[in-house]
Amino acid sequence: MKKITTGTLLLLASSSAFAVAPGGGGCGWGNALFEGQAGAAPHILAVTTNGTSGNNTFGMTSGTNGCSVSGKIGYSGKSMLASVMDEFSEDAAKGEGEALTAVSVAMGVQPEDRAKFAQLTHDNFNTLFPNQDVTAEQVYNSLQQVMKTDAQLSKYAI
Amino acid sequence: MLYSGLFLWAQLFHYMNIKITIWLNLATLFLSLYSVSFATNAAENAAENVTGPNFPEHLLRDAGKNALWKNKEWLNLLHYKGDGDSYLSQVDDPRFFNAPKGKTNPQSELIASLKSFYSTDLSEPNNHPQCRFIARLHWLQKQLPDSLTQLPTVNCPQYNDWRKQVPGHKASLIFPAYHLNSPSSMFGHTLLRIDPADDAANSSWLSMAVNFGANIQASDNSIAFAIKGLAGGYSGTFIVTPYFKKIKEYNREENRDIWEYPLNLTPAETEQMVQHLWELKDINFDYYFFDENCSYRLLELLEVARSSLNLTNQFGLSAIPIDTVRSIDQAGLVTGTLYRPSQATNINHLLKQLNDIQKDLVLRIASDTNLINSAEFKQIDPAKQSIMLDAAYRYLRFQQNDDGRTDANAKNSFSLLQAINKVPNFKSPEAGYSAHQKPEKGHLSKRLDIIAGNNRIKNKSTAEDANREYAQLQFRMSFHSLDDNIDGFLEGAQINIGSISARAYKDEVQLQQLDFIDIFSLSPRNAFFQPLSWRVYTGLEQQFINGREHLTGHVTGGAGVAYEPWSRGYFYALATTRFESNSQFSRALEPALGYSSGLLQHFSFGTTQLEFSGEAFLNNEIRQRVKFIHNFPLARNHSLQFLLNFQRQRNSHNNQTPSESHYETSDAQLSYRYFYH
Repeated sequence: MKKITTGTLLLLASSSAFAVAPGGGGCGWGNALFEGQAGAAPHILAVTTNGTSGNNTFGMTSGTNGCSVSGKIGYSGKSMLASVMDEFSEDAAKGEGEALTAVSVAMGVQPEDRAKFAQLTHDNFNTLFPNQDVTAEQVYNSLQQVMKTDAQLSKYAI
Repeated sequence: MLYSGLFLWAQLFHYMNIKITIWLNLATLFLSLYSVSFATNAAENAAENVTGPNFPEHLLRDAGKNALWKNKEWLNLLHYKGDGDSYLSQVDDPRFFNAPKGKTNPQSELIASLKSFYSTDLSEPNNHPQCRFIARLHWLQKQLPDSLTQLPTVNCPQYNDWRKQVPGHKASLIFPAYHLNSPSSMFGHTLLRIDPADDAANSSWLSMAVNFGANIQASDNSIAFAIKGLAGGYSGTFIVTPYFKKIKEYNREENRDIWEYPLNLTPAETEQMVQHLWELKDINFDYYFFDENCSYRLLELLEVARSSLNLTNQFGLSAIPIDTVRSIDQAGLVTGTLYRPSQATNINHLLKQLNDIQKDLVLRIASDTNLINSAEFKQIDPAKQSIMLDAAYRYLRFQQNDDGRTDANAKNSFSLLQAINKVPNFKSPEAGYSAHQKPEKGHLSKRLDIIAGNNRIKNKSTAEDANREYAQLQFRMSFHSLDDNIDGFLEGAQINIGSISARAYKDEVQLQQLDFIDIFSLSPRNAFFQPLSWRVYTGLEQQFINGREHLTGHVTGGAGVAYEPWSRGYFYALATTRFESNSQFSRALEPALGYSSGLLQHFSFGTTQLEFSGEAFLNNEIRQRVKFIHNFPLARNHSLQFLLNFQRQRNSHNNQTPSESHYETSDAQLSYRYFYH
């Protein structure tokens, strides 16, 4: 009986996870802000992450972060944002940082427009991040909207 | 009764566990032997049948003319180690070789490779030898431009896709530094980063990290890792991941500083290395923690990039990551140093700029962000306000590492980001580094001590007083003690493996000490961080019992707290337990409880340690000691050390002397310490 309940719960949990994760199970798009590093601190008896435990990748397109990248080479802007959303939110609040650069590169923003991209995300922080439960998918959609209204960056919006 | 019952069960379980492991190992052995023979057969058949119609007759003659298989680049590409007569490849995977005897025969492997490139079986192009052994093909084409021709045209879609993500124009050596509280990371780690041509304008976050590591099971803990890592049992493979994942992993999750060393590999050298990396996809190597580890494999990759390098032959018994960084530096490959401080380093850096009242307010803001609007906060200098907001935000992120995402943490983190966003031109600089922190500039890993000392024994019962002079020689395989020269090392992190010392009195020579492992993790606590400090060491040592020294086996461990009441001064107190085995005690393993408490202070001119410790055994043997050490660094790899040790012990119940004995012994030593590689 107990087993059946647990199984059902698991099934429910995973199906609801799928409901918010359009990229598939394990994809970061449905993750809320600040979910990126939950309980990751190593403890005394933990095996070092110097090893290669976990999903074995060789830098291939598939399996980068569990998100389908629809045939595109490397990280699309969307999957990059999903992968570094916590760091991106911090950089957007501060107006500078490497996560901002990485997302802008993945979105195809040219070097001469990256300062403007940083400025735009900083000025529109409250639009991009309306609350702490916002998902990467929502942030990405808001970012597209904000970029569309900007003369210099609208050409990068999809 | 309960205790002994448990012990019995533990023993039984342990015994069964060993048996199971042995059977499993045997089974794996048979299985792997079987798969090796199967694979060799397959390769043999393949080698016979692959030669296509275009295979030029003079090709093998041309290859033989130059004895290409003796070329260092060929030997490096196949990971051969040998002396010119016999060779053995370090790769432990039959899929890596085209010839049945490829693992031991560079010549037959070269011939089989040449033949295999002419295979006309294009049914699965990604598996065609031209696609799988791309660096070999290109190297042989360069050596035999006129004879290695008329190859069948093969497209390699997987490889081409992969190369779009791993462009490979230049490379950096990456050293995530020591991680104190996890023994398996205490030596640090190395990986390579492959950068595209224009990463300065872009971001190294999108570069690819190349990491060699053991294939660890999720269920393995660090004890299993240590045993299997030392004795063998792990296989290792290369993996390639985006570099930002490594930054998150080391900087943010494990709180390790990362040191980056850009290398002067040319685009062509980098290209050869990346092509070879593709040949190593999913290829298994044996993994050993000390020698055939992450750092050693990277040296092999660098030798593939530039064959004039002689890096691997500098490392026989062990390849300590930072020692390999030093050899790469000495080989003239390193062009600079970049530093990525960990989250914890950054938090400490921010806190150092605040006074106690401000630090206290940071803590309160982290748990109640409404305080940002209080008069108490608003009256503070705006520059300090920025630092406080940043410190509070980073502290919340740090906490989440332990606790996971909680509603309160997410809400407070978000409020802090909103507050940070409102500050015009927000500035909160990250931690930098000073030259003496550079890990590659620290002392080398092996140590030899030459010691002169004086030992005095007072029998308190009989008032006998004896004085003996001695000379002592001590060797330590690796790595760092709390009182060693501190430059380049993490303060409070001691890890020594394989330490042995012999002492010569006028009339006798004795083994003084043999330590297998000695770890002391001293992490200071404060209002922000509450880590545990702990110590484990085990080995053989001389103990003064019943009037003379006896060789004693022991396991000693303890846990407790440490504080840093002033800069670079560490006060610590540990509760300890010890199990000891010697000829004088009636029990085979005598348990004891004890304590260890002291002060460690780093000065600009050296390091001082004062320690009080003691233990009481179940058989009423009681020991107490006071130890004073001062280490004077003379140069990076030389130091003088002064040591005073005073010990008092009472024995009242044991098999040798039924009456009580009471001794005081003291030692004074002066040692010269030499660090080398």
